[in-house]
Amino acid sequence: MKYLGFILANLGRNKLRTVLTGGAIALAVVLVCLLLTMPDGLDSLLNTIANNTRISVHNKAGVVYSMPYAFTRKVRQVDGVAAAVAMTWFGGAYEEAGRVTFPSFAVEVEHIGAVYPDYPIAAAQLADFQRYRDGAIVGRQLLRKYGWKIGDRVTLRSTVWPVSLDFRIVGEIASDRAPLFWMNREYLDQALTAQGGPGLGIAGVIWVRAGDPNRVNAIMRQIDDLSRNSDAETASETEKSYFANFFGSLQGFVTIILIITGLVALCIVFIAANTASMGVRERAGEIAILKAIGFGRRVIFSILLVEAIALSAAAGGAGVCAAVGLTKALGTFAGWSDTIGPLGNFIVTAPVIVEGIFLSLFVGMLAGVVPSYGAARKSVVESLHEVF
Amino acid sequence: MALPVSYSLRNIQARPGRSVMTAGVIALVVVACSLFLGLISSLKRTLVSSGNPMNLVVMRKGSDNDGASQLSLEAFQAIRFFDGIARDAEDRPLASPELVVQPFFRTRAGGRENVLVRGVEPMAVMVHDQVRITQGRMFTPSAHEVIVGRGVLGRYAGAELGNDLAFGRGTWKVVGIFDAAGSSFESEVWVDVRELANDAKRPFPYSGIRLRAATAADLESLTRRIDDDPRFALEAQRETDYYTKQSQSANTLYILVIGIAVLAGIGAGFGASNTMYAAVQARTAEIGTLRALGFSRRAILSAFEIEAVALSAVGFIVGAVCALALSAVLRLLLGGIAFGAATFTTNVITLQLGGSDFIGALILALIIGLCGGLGPAWRAARLRPIEALHKA
Repeated sequence: MKYLGFILANLGRNKLRTVLTGGAIALAVVLVCLLLTMPDGLDSLLNTIANNTRISVHNKAGVVYSMPYAFTRKVRQVDGVAAAVAMTWFGGAYEEAGRVTFPSFAVEVEHIGAVYPDYPIAAAQLADFQRYRDGAIVGRQLLRKYGWKIGDRVTLRSTVWPVSLDFRIVGEIASDRAPLFWMNREYLDQALTAQGGPGLGIAGVIWVRAGDPNRVNAIMRQIDDLSRNSDAETASETEKSYFANFFGSLQGFVTIILIITGLVALCIVFIAANTASMGVRERAGEIAILKAIGFGRRVIFSILLVEAIALSAAAGGAGVCAAVGLTKALGTFAGWSDTIGPLGNFIVTAPVIVEGIFLSLFVGMLAGVVPSYGAARKSVVESLHEVF
Repeated sequence: MALPVSYSLRNIQARPGRSVMTAGVIALVVVACSLFLGLISSLKRTLVSSGNPMNLVVMRKGSDNDGASQLSLEAFQAIRFFDGIARDAEDRPLASPELVVQPFFRTRAGGRENVLVRGVEPMAVMVHDQVRITQGRMFTPSAHEVIVGRGVLGRYAGAELGNDLAFGRGTWKVVGIFDAAGSSFESEVWVDVRELANDAKRPFPYSGIRLRAATAADLESLTRRIDDDPRFALEAQRETDYYTKQSQSANTLYILVIGIAVLAGIGAGFGASNTMYAAVQARTAEIGTLRALGFSRRAILSAFEIEAVALSAVGFIVGAVCALALSAVLRLLLGGIAFGAATFTTNVITLQLGGSDFIGALILALIIGLCGGLGPAWRAARLRPIEALHKA
């Protein structure tokens, strides 16, 4: 502890260099934290949106291969199913904002609340959703992004069905994890029939909520058995596995990003090692004098090492704060443009913060050990000789 | 009078250890930057090159992609005989009715991906003239046969010549493999359009028409005629525009990777600047002497800037070579890299670094050199000759 003043004085000796070195380390930590949020962000995203009692039932051949709508009723009768709702992709484009699309689905209004009890939707709004044929329940992110309020009317043109429908927003999903637009299935069905079409006889995905999380596997098996040998055999899976498969095709990209994270980390070690060795080499004379007046090798080694670690730890802390701030800012600006939008989902989680701080400590050790050891080992005569 | 360039270059050699480290850091940033840019430009190139400037995509009004569109047999029968559509040697119009479905495919690794399956008629290879069957033959209609693109080959269970490939409601025999000049067609599976419509149980036989205009002027008139036809509510757009729009989903990734590259670049700039400050400090006496001999401040400033920029140029060259090697290794190890693009189908791209990716990295490296060197060079130029000599 008594050497603390000495260490701080050494760090302050060449302020510019200390700041530059610290800045380089901090930037590298920011980078690594941001990159780590990608796989982590995906995983935490999956954990927050997915519920362990919810099951997706869809056609075995793919989500674009639909199921007969009537199958929903059969699923509801399966033992252990607490609720089930048929969902069909509407693919609505909001033309006033330049044909932007967001996930929009036609759902069964009387069942949706029971399947998504974990979504914060006011009971009165769910009741309104059942009362108004043209009602819609919209995620908070979408409301904010397009400046919609409850009671507003919006028109969406479907990219999948040959219709363009007017909706009255009657409720909001008060969560940032559900940028969804739900509409009444009957409304779409009637609109399609009115055009002389066959109506909406299909369901894209049937979402099922199991009453007991332990029975999820048994229920999935039962549902798939029900459809065996029918025209639309189904494949059931948990909500988490459904979304994980959805993002699965990004795996290769994430791998490459991680490889490059490794490269960038290497980059930090280079910079820090370089600078730390510079600082020690410059001080060769001083270290020799310290030794000449009786300071032991171990003390000198520790002082130099602590100096390197203190700098990188402080820089790492700053870097982690900056990373948190940056992702927060991205989250705030996410609503402004579609291009930035997806980047708003990355959140620096506690494990990432810990990893970032450990990384900076590791860099400090690595950068400090070699030159400090060298300086502590050199003989007094040799060092003094070099200087004078 | 300016100092000779060789003065700056020799100074780099004077402290090889530090120079190598600084150049190494810049090289790493160059590697990261060019690989990132290469990844995205490869994706964009794959999508954009899929469009033929003479082709039109006809879809239902309001649809934003093939997979969401629907089109009736009557509409196809009428449109195919519109004036201005190019014709083949047997005088058949170059209009290809197509049905796009995205079923699940099992990957070799055990996952599942949505793959674009395109139901076509034999006419399709005339309209999409990049497509060439390199192995095997074209499928026979009604025989449950498919041909697969090069990117699909080997990625999914059974996606090999002569094997059975399972998707949709049945299994299909792979009888051919095709190449499409690196475009996104290489990530597709082609099958007889009627068989696919049966398998997917679609109410409409087609999702769209691709057609070839006879002349550039016909592109305009055909587009107008299709858009204005009240019978079908269809719209036409150039195929190049269609794929350019699809590739816009990659813009988010552009912002992400450019942000990462710039952050890494600033970090490397700090490192470069540290090295140069140390160099200035070590040469205080030398700078004092040069000033005393009559070299101007500007000469000193530019000598140090040249040194920094030369260092970053070396870093760039090393980094570019490494990036090329690394991209070759990645191609070998990972094969194609899969992207889930806008329409939820998987695009398998080949990582190919192009000139523009390296230009981006070069600009970053030069900025690192210039900015990193500016502070130290400024300090060197501001040294007072007498004080500097005194210190020595």
